[in-house]
Amino acid sequence: MTQTSVPTMTAAARAVGLTKTYGKGATEVHALRGVDLEIRRGAFTAIMGPSGSGKSTLMHCLAGLDRPTSGQVMVAGQPLENLDDDQLTVFRRENVGFVFQAFNLLPMLTAGQNIQLPLELAGKRVTDETRARAQMIADTLGIGKRLGHKPSELSGGQQQRVAIARALVTQPAILFADEPTGNLDSETSAEVLDHLRRSVRELGQTVVMVTHEASAAAYADEIVTVKDGHIEGVTR
Amino acid sequence: MRTVLFASLRTYARRYAAAVVAVVAAVALIVVTNALTSATKSGLFAGIDAPFRNAAGAVDFPTEEVTEKYVEKGGWALAMSMQPVRTEKTMLGQDIMVGAVSTEKRWQWQELKSGRFPTRAGEAVVDANAAKTNKVAIGDTLKVGTGKSAVETTVVGLVDAPSMWSAPVYVTWPEMQGWKNPYVQTVMTAGTGDEADKWMNTDDYLTELQTQLNKEVDVVAYMVLIFAFIALFVSVLVITNTFSILFAQRMRDFALLRAMGATKRQVLRSVRREALALGLLASLLGLLVGAVLGWGIVALVRQLAETAPLGDVSLEWPWLLAAFVLGTLTTLVASWLPTRRLMRLSPLAALRPQEGFDVRGAGMFRLVLGALTTLAGTAIIFVAVGWDDAQTGMLIVLVGCGTTFLGVMLLGPALVPGLVRLAGSALAKVAGSPAKLAAANAGRNPKRTAATAASLLVGVTLTTGVLTGMNTIRGATLDEMAEQHPIDIALQSESKPLADSVLGDAKAVPGVADAVAVPGAMASVEAGGKPVSLPVVAPPASDVPLMDLTVKPGTMVISPAAASAFVENSFEASGEKATLVVGDRRATVTLDVREIDGAPQISAATLRELTADPQTYAVWVRADAGADPEDLAGTLGVLAPDAELANGKAQRAWVELQLDVFTWAVIGLLAISVLIALAGIANTLGLSVLERGREHALLRALGLTRRQLRRTLAAEAVLLSAVAAVVGTALGVFFAWGGSEILVGDILPDATFDPPVLQLIAVVVVAGVAGLVSCVAPSRRATRVSPAEGLALD
Repeated sequence: MTQTSVPTMTAAARAVGLTKTYGKGATEVHALRGVDLEIRRGAFTAIMGPSGSGKSTLMHCLAGLDRPTSGQVMVAGQPLENLDDDQLTVFRRENVGFVFQAFNLLPMLTAGQNIQLPLELAGKRVTDETRARAQMIADTLGIGKRLGHKPSELSGGQQQRVAIARALVTQPAILFADEPTGNLDSETSAEVLDHLRRSVRELGQTVVMVTHEASAAAYADEIVTVKDGHIEGVTR
Repeated sequence: MRTVLFASLRTYARRYAAAVVAVVAAVALIVVTNALTSATKSGLFAGIDAPFRNAAGAVDFPTEEVTEKYVEKGGWALAMSMQPVRTEKTMLGQDIMVGAVSTEKRWQWQELKSGRFPTRAGEAVVDANAAKTNKVAIGDTLKVGTGKSAVETTVVGLVDAPSMWSAPVYVTWPEMQGWKNPYVQTVMTAGTGDEADKWMNTDDYLTELQTQLNKEVDVVAYMVLIFAFIALFVSVLVITNTFSILFAQRMRDFALLRAMGATKRQVLRSVRREALALGLLASLLGLLVGAVLGWGIVALVRQLAETAPLGDVSLEWPWLLAAFVLGTLTTLVASWLPTRRLMRLSPLAALRPQEGFDVRGAGMFRLVLGALTTLAGTAIIFVAVGWDDAQTGMLIVLVGCGTTFLGVMLLGPALVPGLVRLAGSALAKVAGSPAKLAAANAGRNPKRTAATAASLLVGVTLTTGVLTGMNTIRGATLDEMAEQHPIDIALQSESKPLADSVLGDAKAVPGVADAVAVPGAMASVEAGGKPVSLPVVAPPASDVPLMDLTVKPGTMVISPAAASAFVENSFEASGEKATLVVGDRRATVTLDVREIDGAPQISAATLRELTADPQTYAVWVRADAGADPEDLAGTLGVLAPDAELANGKAQRAWVELQLDVFTWAVIGLLAISVLIALAGIANTLGLSVLERGREHALLRALGLTRRQLRRTLAAEAVLLSAVAAVVGTALGVFFAWGGSEILVGDILPDATFDPPVLQLIAVVVVAGVAGLVSCVAPSRRATRVSPAEGLALD
């Protein structure tokens, strides 16, 4: 497959010797057992595996939402293990975008406010430029006319597109999507996945998607298969 | 974060209802207090200087000599006395305040409405309002006073007077001097007075008087503020609970914010600003509600009672500011703990499927601490009960009560759900599965259940404590009153025997249950060489008085006032001997001085020693329980116009009324706290319903009918409020027991601890019913959702 606008060989994120253990003694669960992985910049990567395989834990560690038991994570050239909670939060805010399966939007904010939220959290002034960018992204995703609505007034597909727009608005180094189509019907799923792929192609965005559906993974440039806490294979 | 803050406030405003109600009620109470105080002050101060227009100065609370000295020098006494007043036809009242009016123009400070001022003794003026309500007109004759000292006077004018100095009737000063108890509050002087008499010039005097009145009104205001603080405390509990629940429900939002890149500090700041905004708005609303209520109440009172000394309301800035700041601070303090919990929140929470909220019970540490505190508090109460000095004992018992209450609150998360489960399993026997579900629901989030119950616990504990304590005090006080005034109404002759017809006539008066003639004689007692004459009576064995009044032979029971006619220090004259003389017969008696109504009492045997032919000197009347003592006294007084009339029933009724007014005023003020707590219960239940939407849908899908679901919620509310009420009642009664045991030892020796069982049951029932009412709205909301809709809820 082809990448157009960005150099391909630098890693957007890298994990080395990643392990994650929950609990102690008899209840000990090894979610990750030594994972080495590189996420290519400007590519659409799918992390695939059955439930309980450790794929979500892997994503959480890569995104700086959770700390590994051992091993290193580097995102956008920044090692994460030495950052305290506030530094990690600011790092996420500046470098990482998220799209979740559900409960993606703040119910009290309109779609437009939800999209602008990461900028506001960062204390950035909402300028004409950022507003134009937010509008452009919203238009690209086909929700430009729905920005004044509350999430409860939008369909599931529309909500998910608002979430994607919000993740894109800060131009993050890497966008993580956790089962983004888990709650959607197949037609809407296809639309959302298509939007994710277009953001990679047209905006040069790096996207990592966690999914257990092969049909969703098919949209990706690279498929990382996870099983029992380690990587079984990488397909390009 | 501003967008988030405003959007949150808009979206969740309705869920803050209970918090707003709590703050508004407490703040409004403070403002209403200020409105009433300011109206009272301006009413009291209006025209306060009227009597002093021609005075050079004044002496407050002068002795008889000082009064006489300045009156002789052309001054004037502001005097008053409580006396029975009747017209030719009817009794106007047993205890009517009678003021003094001058025959000299410069001391005639009352404002003349019609007629003229008196020019000599035997003329009186009447307050224009009082004249209207009692149908008294110029030219009428009034009889003021009782027995020998009664005066007949003709109404010559109608007047108006500033509330501070006003009385319904004014007679001339020489006539008042014949009475036993003319009370001179102030004597005004025509010229400069002596420093030694504590004389002050008029300006200084008026300033001093206003300062004094200000203080007195303020003391009452501060007492009411105690209840505002109780309301604020309950508000803290309710608001803390509201925030805890709301934040639990919004955890996912907060987590999402964190995942989006909001720092902990940003989230914390946002919710604290939310609390601040809520506090500011609710306090502002409280000021508004308080001002409207304050003005409304004052206007209403003035409409209903024209003579009430209420002036204009002028709210004072310090009060408003303090109320506003207290309301806002309360909200902030209450939000502190729940917002702190947000610090533990991880952004990962946003990615997990909907999971249980923080439902951990209290830690072992809290429970152990609670148990120890409860035990310590209980021990302190028992120590206090054994304390010798009542004042110190009272302080210790207060500390003990506070400590015990704190301990019980700490134990709450274990105690309340446990009791709810217990009560629930009992209720399940009659109400079936809804009660079982309800008990389980109440136990699933022990801290929330305990916090909800705690807010009601405060009000119920205080209410039942006051009810029980006051019942004990009331019993003891009324027993004492019955001892002092055992005769409902006594007609007592002071010089000559009563006509034989009086007894029969008295028995025929409607409202009289029974009457008895009391034999007696006119006797004289030697005092310092000259004889003093006084009537003595020998109480017969009769059930007309509340207790057996027969006197031991050789003893004379006499009031200090009567004894003062022939002994030096009448209050300590018990045990002294006195010799009674009737004609050529004499008898020596030992004095027993105590407060009694009517003439000195001796035994029948002593009376036989004194006279062979005793005559009726008094008629004692027992009234029907429901009879109005004032009306009865009016009718009976006409039967023997020259006799002195002692109205024991009215005296007892008056004290009883005072006690009742005090008790119900306190209960009324506490009711504000109870209402706040009930709003809290409704809120907790309402928010829990939102939270459990999915679960209710599941239950409905599994076959729970709409009706059963409603009953489940009702049972939960009733169980919760009833448990809080029962625990509160137990605490209240226990605390009142501690307090009354101390009083029994020292201040009220005859008091016996006496919980008002019916009233206490009523408190528990009212709390239960109120719980039922509080669940109406939440359960309607819960049952409106169809199972399919509910299951789709996130």
